[in-house]
Amino acid sequence: MRKKILKIVLYVVLIFAIVLFGLYGYAYYVMNYKFVPENKYTHSAEYINPETALLNEGFEVCDEDFIIQYYNPQRATYSKEKNGLRNFILSNYKNNNFTDSGYLNIRFVINCKGLAGRYVIHENNLDLEPTSFNKDLVDQLFDLTTQLKEWNPNYTHDAFRDSYMYISYRIEHGEITEILP
Amino acid sequence: MEKLLKYCLSLFVIGCIFSCKSDKEEALKVLEFGKHYQGSAQSLNALTRVLEIDATNAEAYRELSIPYLKRGIPNHWKTYMDQAVTLDSLSWIGYRGYNYLWFYRDYKKAIADFDATDILTPNFVDAPQGHSVDYWRGIAYLGLKDRENSIAYFDKYINKEIEDSGEDWVELTAFLYRGIAYFESGNYESALMNFDKQLQYSRNLSADAKYYKARVLKEQGDIENAKLIIDAAIEDFNIGYFNNRPYVETIRQIYMEDLMLLKSELSL
Repeated sequence: MRKKILKIVLYVVLIFAIVLFGLYGYAYYVMNYKFVPENKYTHSAEYINPETALLNEGFEVCDEDFIIQYYNPQRATYSKEKNGLRNFILSNYKNNNFTDSGYLNIRFVINCKGLAGRYVIHENNLDLEPTSFNKDLVDQLFDLTTQLKEWNPNYTHDAFRDSYMYISYRIEHGEITEILP
Repeated sequence: MEKLLKYCLSLFVIGCIFSCKSDKEEALKVLEFGKHYQGSAQSLNALTRVLEIDATNAEAYRELSIPYLKRGIPNHWKTYMDQAVTLDSLSWIGYRGYNYLWFYRDYKKAIADFDATDILTPNFVDAPQGHSVDYWRGIAYLGLKDRENSIAYFDKYINKEIEDSGEDWVELTAFLYRGIAYFESGNYESALMNFDKQLQYSRNLSADAKYYKARVLKEQGDIENAKLIIDAAIEDFNIGYFNNRPYVETIRQIYMEDLMLLKSELSL
């Protein structure tokens, strides 16, 4: 009989504890998540849509759900380093009397095998407002950027990973004055 | 039993009263939540929610700007960062200058923002991202190749730091960059003095300071010592002692090719 009572008491305590945890969880949800609207942003800031990206055909990422940033944690880099990248671009780029100034940014993905693809282009003036550059200038720099073939992929959690990368060309009167990052 | 229910009800009511928060408080709570997983949809949505509750929250605008800064989407960075500065320029104008300096290499806009902090806080030297605006201006003027102003601001920063806390508190790269500014303006004696200071406070480990010392010695015709010191620079570089920074290449960053090139020039 005593054993039975003890058993019932234990069950009651257990159920009470479960309910309490449930309530705590719900309260936590209400306090934190409820306020967050879920429909405005459905993707992270860096997301590049494979459907609309340039040169995505035949390009494969290793894990669509885990594409990290170029700077995390090891840094994805060009195989010939920044110097090699700069030399390649500057020695092949020709300023055909362009008058454009601003930032031509090309964003893309470096997959876990060190291959680049899935490009998107952003054109902004020197005040960082959207603009359009001369088509020849854009085509030339896009073409050169896609010729940068071999990259060192990012490494974390015991494996090589895909990462988002960008190259920013600061252009003044058609001349490349900075290549970032 | 009835009493117990009454107690419970009272507790519930008291709980409700205490949980009622002002919009600003609620916004701050969501802001904390939104700071996690920078750039994720969850974070962006939370920060958007902060601004729905309290449209004057400058920090939420700044938080929204950062993922775009680091991911190469300048127009979004600018929209949000400018909002933060408009709402609270005292807190964010120096920080925007720091962004212009490193992520856009727009030295003039950076200097304009750093100068604005002098006007906003006349008796106080602001330190966005942990460094004095004078130190940042030293770097920005070096970026503009205006060595005279660069040296003047590094002097201002270094002298104040010595006065306030002592020479060993000076940021090491201030000596390095002041040395580079002197080197580029042909003042080799002052350049050497600064490179030696950097080495003195970095346990004699700095590929950059040694690389530039070797260049000074080469200019002065002391090839034998230049050869010795470029080898030491290569050693330092190989064990990771060279000037660099997260996210972006630093100004006047050196690479192994630069060191090897100088070494081969010295062997001619």
